[in-house]
Amino acid sequence: MTTLYLDRPSPIHRLNPVTKLVGLLAVVLVVFALPQWWASVAILVLVMVPAAVVSGVGGRLLLVTLILAGPLLLVLIIAQGFFYPGRETILFALGALQFSLEGLLLAVGVGTRTAVLVAASVLLLLTTHPGALMTALTERGMPAKVSYVVSSTLQIIPAFRTRAESILLAQRSRGLRTRGNIVRRVRVLLPLVTPLVLGVFVDVEERSTAMEARAFGSTRSRVSYAVIPDSRGQQFSRWALILLALAVVVLSFTGVLR
Amino acid sequence: MIELAGVTYTYPDTERAVLHGLDLSITEGIVFGIVGASGVGKSTLAKVISGFIPHSEGGELEGAVTVAGIDVAKATLLDVVSKVGLVTQNPFNQITGARFSVEEEIAFGLENLGIPRDEMIERVGAVIARFGIQELRDRSPFALSGGQQQLVAIASIVVMEPAILVMDEPTSQLDPSGTRLVFDIIDRVAEQGTTVVLLEHKLELLREHAQVVAVLAEGRIVLSGAPREVLADDRLDQWGVGSTRFTSAARAAISAELASADSAIPVSLKEAVSYFSGGRR
Repeated sequence: MTTLYLDRPSPIHRLNPVTKLVGLLAVVLVVFALPQWWASVAILVLVMVPAAVVSGVGGRLLLVTLILAGPLLLVLIIAQGFFYPGRETILFALGALQFSLEGLLLAVGVGTRTAVLVAASVLLLLTTHPGALMTALTERGMPAKVSYVVSSTLQIIPAFRTRAESILLAQRSRGLRTRGNIVRRVRVLLPLVTPLVLGVFVDVEERSTAMEARAFGSTRSRVSYAVIPDSRGQQFSRWALILLALAVVVLSFTGVLR
Repeated sequence: MIELAGVTYTYPDTERAVLHGLDLSITEGIVFGIVGASGVGKSTLAKVISGFIPHSEGGELEGAVTVAGIDVAKATLLDVVSKVGLVTQNPFNQITGARFSVEEEIAFGLENLGIPRDEMIERVGAVIARFGIQELRDRSPFALSGGQQQLVAIASIVVMEPAILVMDEPTSQLDPSGTRLVFDIIDRVAEQGTTVVLLEHKLELLREHAQVVAVLAEGRIVLSGAPREVLADDRLDQWGVGSTRFTSAARAAISAELASADSAIPVSLKEAVSYFSGGRR
């Protein structure tokens, strides 16, 4: 299965996925309402780090966040540091290019906000089983077909990757050279893609028959087999998070928090 | 229970009919085997009985198809699938991908039918116990072997409690142990009163498990009867069905004048032992 989920016995893992989604939404709202760098740093230190420690996925969270947000941060620092138009304080120069403190601060501000958004999203994926997420969302009205598209994509793509490897192996056993320069690798795509795509068409037809045999086209009210635990406390927390985030947005736009 | 009268079917965008005036009558609560050469229309017949033809495949269907008291042409596909379950050849493609554990995969059809949750839990638990797949309960359906996936696919249909179970070569991609498991399940399902229509190439297993066997050739049923008589018929080769190892060995022995042509041709191991020992055992 293509997923970031790590199974851990943590209270954050046990939270209802909707509570975590609302938490993510609150972080997004606050980060956009408060563009100052200190706000993002405060969320990182006061929310993300404790959540990562409690959930037991800190190492993976750091790694995935760095992989996703690191390159962007680097590009931002270089671009803004050297080319920020309002530069006043020059930290160093490379020939004609001058690296400014103002550009650096702007890059760090944007980069920190991005890092917070990426870290919060990754934390949700690391601590929430995709099945639980889909069930929780379907219970709240998300169409079963949307849930199916997400769930099946996560599970079937690795199987297609295995099939592609088998096709390549079969082609190589018949003398096809699959290694070498970029031109050769591109040429290999045709004998790979044709049987892969034709196979996918057959699979889609057969899987659609299997779905219909399980009454997927039924118009009756669906009943969920899995039950995702929820509690009054979590319901209250969700409303509290939403209200808190909205309050920050209002205070920010009215100038109180700026 | 299952009545097909004068059924002719042509797939969309083709001119040649796959089934030509096919008549078939299957009584309730038996395992009914259907054999036929590859490409003769076995899968088409499976889809006709289970309602996917004409509801899902389209094409031109003539004649009358009645299953479990439902006129298939007039009913909706949902009406038919709630009475007739279909299991196909490829285990991988019968795993829906909609659920992340075997238990939830089995419950998927019940969820769609809106069965109350308590009843769902009871039915899923009972089927898992009946199929002996308790240890697979929490595993991903995609992490199973082909045989295990086929068991899960069959369990996912059986849990919907269809009156009829149509199985289109359910063991064609399985190893001998997986095949044995599936046939054991077929016996257990039939014991519960479900009618099983089994389209299968494995003649020796049909001899063991089916109560009636029919031969599909030239788009219609050309022979039907008790497995022993049908599988010993010397026209099976002509219809591309072949014969059991025991039948072939006996015919070779007769040709070589090593055995008598007067005795009944064996179609099972037990009969072969008796045949070749001259009735001494």
